[in-house]
Amino acid sequence: MEIHTNDKEVTEKEVTLHLLPGEQLLCEASTVLKYVQEDTCQRGIYGKLVCTDFKIAFLGDDDSALESDETQFKNKLIGENDITLHCVDQILGVFDEKKKTLFGQLKKYPEKLIIHCKDLRVFHFCLRYTKEEEVKRIVSGIIHHTQASKLLKRLFLFSYAAATQNRTASDPQNHTVMFDTLKDWCWELERTKGCLKYKAVSVNQGYKVCERLPEYFVVPIALPEEDISHFQGHGIPLWCWSCHSGCALLKMSALPKEQDDGVSQIQKSFLDGINKTIHRPPYEILKTEDLSSNFLSLQEIQTAYSKFKQLFLIDNSTEFWDTDIKWFSVLESSSWLDIIRRCLKKAIEITECLEAQNVNVLLLEEHASDLCCIVSSLVQVMMDPHCRTRFGFQSLIQKEWIMGGHCFLDRCNHLRQSDKEEVPVFLLFLDCVWQLVHQHPPAFEFTETYLTVLSDSLYIPIFSTFFFNSPHQKDANMGRESQDAQSSPLNLLTVWDWSVQFEPKAQTLFRNPLYVEKPKLDKSQRKGMRFKHQRQLSLPLTQSKSSPKRGFFREETDHLIKNLLGKRISKLINSSEDLQDNFREFYDSWHSKPTDYQGLLLPHLEGPEIKVWAQRYLRWIPEAQILGGGQVALMSKLLEMLEEVQRLQEQVEERHHSQAALPAEVPPAPRHSARLSSLFPFALLQRHSSKPVLPTSGWKALGDDEDLAKREDEFVDLGDL
Amino acid sequence: MWWGGRGQSFNISPQKEEPEMGLSRPKSDQGSRMPEPRSNQPSSFLASGCLPGEQILAWAPGVRKGLEPELSGILICTNLRVTFQPCGWQRSQDIPVSSEYDFALVNIGRLEAVSGLSRVQLLRPGSLKSVPEEILIHGRDFRLLRVCFEAGGLEPQAFQVTMAIIQAKAQTYQDQLYAGVTLSTAGQSSGPRKPPVPLLETSEDWEAERKKQGARGWRVSTVNERFDIATSLPRYFWVPNRTLDSEVRRAFGHFHQGRGPRLSWHHPGGSDLLRCGGFYTASDPSKEDIRAMESMLQAGHSDVVLVDTVEELPSLTDVQLAHVRLRALCLPDSSVADDKWLSALEGTRWLDCVRSCLRKASDISVLVTSRVRSVVLQERGDRDLNGLLSSLAQLLSAHEARTLLGFQSLVQREWVAAGHPFLTRLGGTGGNEEAPVFLLFLDCVWQLLQQFPTEFEFSEFFLLALHDSIRVPDTLTFLRDTPWERGKQGGQFKSFTQVYTPPAGNAVNQQLSVWDWGLRYSNKQIQQFHNLGYDPEHCPDSCFPRQQLSFMVPGPPRSVWLFSRGALTPLNQLCPWQDSPSLLAVSSRWLPRPAISTESLADQEWGLPSHWGACPLPPGLLIPGYLGPQIKLWKRCYLRGKPEVQMGLLAPTISGLQDELSCLQELLRKWAPGLSPEDHSEKRDPNTILSQPC
Repeated sequence: MEIHTNDKEVTEKEVTLHLLPGEQLLCEASTVLKYVQEDTCQRGIYGKLVCTDFKIAFLGDDDSALESDETQFKNKLIGENDITLHCVDQILGVFDEKKKTLFGQLKKYPEKLIIHCKDLRVFHFCLRYTKEEEVKRIVSGIIHHTQASKLLKRLFLFSYAAATQNRTASDPQNHTVMFDTLKDWCWELERTKGCLKYKAVSVNQGYKVCERLPEYFVVPIALPEEDISHFQGHGIPLWCWSCHSGCALLKMSALPKEQDDGVSQIQKSFLDGINKTIHRPPYEILKTEDLSSNFLSLQEIQTAYSKFKQLFLIDNSTEFWDTDIKWFSVLESSSWLDIIRRCLKKAIEITECLEAQNVNVLLLEEHASDLCCIVSSLVQVMMDPHCRTRFGFQSLIQKEWIMGGHCFLDRCNHLRQSDKEEVPVFLLFLDCVWQLVHQHPPAFEFTETYLTVLSDSLYIPIFSTFFFNSPHQKDANMGRESQDAQSSPLNLLTVWDWSVQFEPKAQTLFRNPLYVEKPKLDKSQRKGMRFKHQRQLSLPLTQSKSSPKRGFFREETDHLIKNLLGKRISKLINSSEDLQDNFREFYDSWHSKPTDYQGLLLPHLEGPEIKVWAQRYLRWIPEAQILGGGQVALMSKLLEMLEEVQRLQEQVEERHHSQAALPAEVPPAPRHSARLSSLFPFALLQRHSSKPVLPTSGWKALGDDEDLAKREDEFVDLGDL
Repeated sequence: MWWGGRGQSFNISPQKEEPEMGLSRPKSDQGSRMPEPRSNQPSSFLASGCLPGEQILAWAPGVRKGLEPELSGILICTNLRVTFQPCGWQRSQDIPVSSEYDFALVNIGRLEAVSGLSRVQLLRPGSLKSVPEEILIHGRDFRLLRVCFEAGGLEPQAFQVTMAIIQAKAQTYQDQLYAGVTLSTAGQSSGPRKPPVPLLETSEDWEAERKKQGARGWRVSTVNERFDIATSLPRYFWVPNRTLDSEVRRAFGHFHQGRGPRLSWHHPGGSDLLRCGGFYTASDPSKEDIRAMESMLQAGHSDVVLVDTVEELPSLTDVQLAHVRLRALCLPDSSVADDKWLSALEGTRWLDCVRSCLRKASDISVLVTSRVRSVVLQERGDRDLNGLLSSLAQLLSAHEARTLLGFQSLVQREWVAAGHPFLTRLGGTGGNEEAPVFLLFLDCVWQLLQQFPTEFEFSEFFLLALHDSIRVPDTLTFLRDTPWERGKQGGQFKSFTQVYTPPAGNAVNQQLSVWDWGLRYSNKQIQQFHNLGYDPEHCPDSCFPRQQLSFMVPGPPRSVWLFSRGALTPLNQLCPWQDSPSLLAVSSRWLPRPAISTESLADQEWGLPSHWGACPLPPGLLIPGYLGPQIKLWKRCYLRGKPEVQMGLLAPTISGLQDELSCLQELLRKWAPGLSPEDHSEKRDPNTILSQPC
């Protein structure tokens, strides 16, 4: 059973548990057998299973093998066999070969523990050889700490922050705009040339008006500031982004539904007023896009994802083979890919309004913090090349998701308070972006690895970024609000400080070597560029359709109000057929032209084009990787060439500077690039826990011993060659 | 909605052949005035592009739709092909067949005429009722030509040309279509030339190839030189050194259609891959014959594995059905909704065909590389799946086969010379034996290419070009069923009943093959056949273990196995006749003896790829993925109608880097002659995007 063989020289290296500052060991159990996942035969590694207030960790007895330097893509916080408590999705126990979901108080303790993680890893721990009381302690400990609902203040985030309080917080020297100051918003307005029509306001400083909104945000210039406080920020058009033509993307949270006629009358007149102000020049036409009707529901997303992830949360190869035959239809029936397609399509529709029809778009949703975030961020990724750089993308997430008040705490169910609220909205967004990255690699400065790592960071309770429902909640819990000076506010890390998780070398995998950078122009030229967008209005605009005189104005306003008041009308002002035509025309015309990677970018939506994000979803399944293949192989070849180009460029440079004869330089040693897995960098980690390198008994059966001996000789020879 | 893109067989930007509008515009000139019926044959500008023997049947001016840019030109129907000739476009003398504008008649899958709002499929000449406004020609190679006819008095011509196409298409099923056409003479003027790829029509070619493979225990047999053993076999093939020609002749008689065991490939590690037809069960071989057969199958190894090729693979009917469904799915106007696409794709079962082939090929390549033995592929006909599996296994285990030249000679050897019935399988004979096995093979290769993008010297475009070439009637490579017919047509010998006269001098070399890419593709296109990501450093030659010294072991094999359903079953004999004649009646397969070593079988656990990972396989061996998520649709080929196909690959940037690299190297070399950087890049057009500013 045990494959640990090199017992002589390694002096029973006691693997120590690495605890983070503030982390506490809660319980542990020894002689736990962790199964090697990849085959049905029951092999594994013995070790210790521990549970701290941050993670569940398995410490293998022969960890020395795992510590090899080859793991160049190592997370500094979380090891290969670590599971943060927030990353646990489901815990199953095996009782007499039967699987059962474990929760609450247990009467009987399982002989095998299966942990499904939210990053789709699956761990199997055999407890048969563990002492009974240890089993009880570890199982109930794990169940309690991962599944019992907890208070926000009990998040590991705070213990960690308190423990690292006195350390000099390394300023990440981050170019990510956090949008927590007025200056940041002004900068963004300036960048997008939105400052002519929109203004940044600080009405909500100290969250006086509304706890849902950030302290600073941007509204139309004509909007009286006192209006904002009227309905605690509801019914106020908030600025998201302005495109080069001056049209803006706005969002608004709907007013609460009121039964009382009097109140709803007040609401109606309020909205009327708002509409009048924003319809006054220079704003022109505004189109309302109600995301809470005629679009996805959170329920759909939740159902689809829970079906979808079952495709990847598999216990062993056999299960994988079983689903394999019907792979495509099972995949389709989860409809996760279709949901991605619908999000992308909605984003294209809105892009079409902004880009081709030149109208402002107002997104409407109950709290403007779920689908609004997806759609508005996608529109920006497609239209604004800045959002396709790493820092631009991070700033976008700060702006639309963090400051936009997306309820990360609830949507990720970090506190285990309500499973119903748990909806992978942010993951859906990342998956949509992945589709774009996959379809147009040269347009993005970051890679899919970056997106994968970002999605993993959702469950690491070190960073404040994804552990609050709103900026207000964060500030309130950080002690910034309480004015007593002696307790300085806690210093929480942001996830954008990647050096906390990865060494600089590993971080190079986030950079896309294929990225087509923006041509560096001097300022005057760039100014011209802004307005001479390559794809701008490239289509034959059907004038009649976008004519502002089409009664759009009045009816639309009415429509808006009706929607806002919760009395949804089914008939849209723009007949849907018209919409479809516009969309189709826009979509087809864009795709029939060569792509400008620094311009507008649209995804392909056709059936064959929406794909499974293999790196994220399939990375832990050994069968799914291709050794020495995949895009990774091409990429590493490319990197080699890039390096070579750089080296030669340097030589040329040198040559330019010193006219002296070049020292006869030794050409670089041929790089011995190992064959990587197609799911690199993740699968590499997995491979370390793999099986022995000797032929299995099956192969012995094929020939007699003499033959085998000969064969071994061959391999000795191989070494000599 | 999806009319775009079809007809374009290449991702290369059109070669500046947009017609200069000012220059002679035969179409519009003639369009303005009514042409006199017969006398106005535009022979001057049409005949120039004709192949010898080609006749123009009808023509009409029209506008090609659906592709950017819209082109006006002439739709021509000849007895060979349908061509859309844009105005101002001059068919280059060197490239008599255009990959862009030509549709060979055999390639036409479906014809549709549009007039007004109605769209009719044209099956017989009678089904054309009115003058068509537009004609849609669906190629079997997934291309589409859509031509809108000119109005204004030219309707008779439109009618004529449509009629001619229908008729010509109907006639293609008569086999002798190409009989009268002597083939392209391009390139012949340049004197004796060597074919770009050895055509394996002379014993010298076979001998050279044998030496290249290092197959020391083998020799070239000339026993079939006059095709009297089998017309479907090549004139030469490899048999074990120790087997006499008379033995070969006798032994081959006991195989289906005389296709006895021959060497396909000798693995540098010592194993041999053989292929043969099914045992001819009605015969009654003598003891000596059986011994000869056994020693040929054994090929001197002590370990022999028989592989039943057909098992677990789709039948030819399945392949055909899947391909038909795939074509229907990929039609530009197929009505499958985007969210139902995946299950529709699954429903075609084409990808299932692909993955079962890859799976089996992967099994076979492991069998060949993991141990020194003789692996025999046996298929009843030995002309379809044997070729597919043997080629795939070679691609997986030998990096030579993954080079451009190596792959072409692989196809020439395992498909063309081995007698794959191309004409029948590609529907050229009109029978019901159509089954695009070769296209299935190309798809499998494409899967390997996309799984291992740096391991192949050729690119997707090369595969695409090959895919599109199978019905182009300029060479005989894919238009004949057997090497004999090909040779007959190529004029190697006057009549097969007569004494064979060896070709005088260079006559053979004059023969053109599909590998003369210059016939159909421009230099720029041919340049794109190279995979820029190819990394030859990945394939060290020394990765194979040294050849075994005890190579030819005399005496009977010590272990004989049947590879079946992913597991090895011991067999007690190689040939089915020896002990148990009663079995013959049952089937041509051998029934495995009841497993005496059930224990060891249970141990084997064959079929689980995770165990293969545990075997010390040579580093050059590719183990393909064949799981649902890993098998993809060859979009560039099948979805040519849909514009999204032309989506960016990494290629422009790689070629950009290549350019920059070579440019810098050039610069440095000028300055410092001592410096010799390893220049593995070729000069390419620098008009690609550079990811780095220079």
